[in-house]
Amino acid sequence: MIDIQLIGLLNATLQAATLLFIAALGELITEKSGILNLGVEGMISVGAVTGFMTAINTENIFLAVLVGVLSSSIFASIHALVTVVLKQDQTVSGLILTILGLALSSLLGKNYVGRKLVTKLESVSSITEPSNIIEVLISQNIIFYLAVVLMISTSFVLKRTMFGRRLEAVGEDSKSSDSMGLKVAKTQFIATCVGGAFAGLSGVYLTLSYVPYWTDNMTSGRGWIALALVIFGGWKPYRTALGALLFGFLEALVPRLQTYGFELSPYIVKITPYVITILVLVILTIYKGGKTGAPRNIGVPFFRENR
Amino acid sequence: MNNFKLFKRQTVNELSTFYSFLIGFIIAIIIGSIILLIQDKNPIDTFSLMLRLSVGSVNSLSSSLNKAIPLILAGLGISIINSVKLWNIGAEGQIFLGAIAVNFIYINTQFNNPSFHILVLLLAGFVGGSVCILIPAITKVVFGVNEIITTLLTNYIVFGVTIFLINGPWKDPKSLNFPAAAYVGEEVFLPTVIGKLSFGFLICILFTFVAHYLKNKSVFGFEMRIAGGSAMTAIYAGINAKQKAFIAMLIGGGFAGLAGAIELLSQTHRVSTGISQGFGYTAIIVAAITGMRPLGIFLVGSLFGALSIGGSVIQTIGVSTYIADIIQASTLFGALIIQFFFTYQIKRVEND
Repeated sequence: MIDIQLIGLLNATLQAATLLFIAALGELITEKSGILNLGVEGMISVGAVTGFMTAINTENIFLAVLVGVLSSSIFASIHALVTVVLKQDQTVSGLILTILGLALSSLLGKNYVGRKLVTKLESVSSITEPSNIIEVLISQNIIFYLAVVLMISTSFVLKRTMFGRRLEAVGEDSKSSDSMGLKVAKTQFIATCVGGAFAGLSGVYLTLSYVPYWTDNMTSGRGWIALALVIFGGWKPYRTALGALLFGFLEALVPRLQTYGFELSPYIVKITPYVITILVLVILTIYKGGKTGAPRNIGVPFFRENR
Repeated sequence: MNNFKLFKRQTVNELSTFYSFLIGFIIAIIIGSIILLIQDKNPIDTFSLMLRLSVGSVNSLSSSLNKAIPLILAGLGISIINSVKLWNIGAEGQIFLGAIAVNFIYINTQFNNPSFHILVLLLAGFVGGSVCILIPAITKVVFGVNEIITTLLTNYIVFGVTIFLINGPWKDPKSLNFPAAAYVGEEVFLPTVIGKLSFGFLICILFTFVAHYLKNKSVFGFEMRIAGGSAMTAIYAGINAKQKAFIAMLIGGGFAGLAGAIELLSQTHRVSTGISQGFGYTAIIVAAITGMRPLGIFLVGSLFGALSIGGSVIQTIGVSTYIADIIQASTLFGALIIQFFFTYQIKRVEND
């Protein structure tokens, strides 16, 4: 017999991992093109609030997801405009995207704090109390399966399609890519918007299923953990998923520690995922000895020298 | 056929950062007005009210400048760390740990001379900020771990520690439902200069010049710039780049920690979650918008302080405080867009 608590832990792990993974996967795609977007936290927040508002007003869950994803993508295009078209500093632009995104979503969501959803993103099967691992796996939220599909297809697109190869070429060496006739700016612009769309999906999952309500700053650093996950995963979709599971496990484990008999202050317990994130980053950097697998041109604006 | 091509300008106007900021600010005001119009508020009335309540009297002006202190000090810290081309996103946590260090020293020491006591506490704040950035600094210098993510994560860690302290060991029973540590004694309050203007603002002016000297005039500043440049140049020049980066990070963290100390000793008078209201994040905008220039940080920090005060008082007429945040962030985005036109030139070329 499997412990019912263990089932609950597994369930919570998968949910937390899904949220982190989708945002991380989007950032992975953006970074592959050589654009660093530190605005993940802000983009998740924008997707979360716009999706929630749409769900409250229309009670149409499909439309809510669509609006959340699109608005985050449009929001990310500010970063694309500033860094790809206007070649400004990616670190500054991304940071401000986070600050702007959090402020904007607080402004938008002011009248939606504490409102209850009529329709939520539901699980696909009718099992409400899973009793074994298989039942846990088949009773997940639809976004979980979407994340699995996105993982497989992203990996496939990056490795096996022309678009993916172009994306990687641009991120590795934009100058050579340009002289080969690849459209550097267009590729980077698309990759940034796709990253935004993924963050938006992660955001709507947050407000329409994971929590599910809206309050200020509810992303609580998940966007930054997603950024760490990309480094953790060495810019590879499957390894990033593994990292997301690990971090999801930690997020799920922490509130349960007391039920397992650990006497810890809940306030201290809350900070452990952040401490562990730093530890993992350190161990990983030592282990890989500097060969992190980062795209070579990341953070470097591309400019074609004209004579 | 005509075609447009991009050229990098040979020389960039020296005042380009200033002009970019100015135009960026105008763009941000326009964006702010649009948001206000959507919310059925009159932008001209709202902004003139903000102006009046933030700089209209000695009292409101001094509140604005008090608000500017943490923005300026944390911004200066960020600019010092940026000399070695590193980012400090952890100013928010450093402000909190600075305040925590002040309270820790206050609880555990006894001094007879109040001026000396205050001096010790301010120093404790500086050290607290340095301690906060110690882990990111060590992991960056020794292992090469990305400092953007580690400094950011320390914010969440320090905030968690703050919540723990004010709900646990330091909880003041008299504070009832609002968790906070006990007030510090009046003997260590920072004095005021004019109106409500805190003595901390004079410290701020002093540290602006210290940062300016450190970055632009001192040997260490020169070494920091080399260390932040190419690794080979640093080796040829015999400069230990890692050591410079490490020291720069500790100093920069200390500046933010000092901001926390001043905030505690002049505003909140106790450790609570109100020690910083996102000052560490706004400071990033302040530092970036000025191109990391200490004197610019002082001016823009003062302006943003007034903007924050203006933003918090217009709540009373039903306008969201976040309008100030949005104006600040949009100013930087606007400035970045304008900066493009100062550094690049679009020319029409004829194709053959």
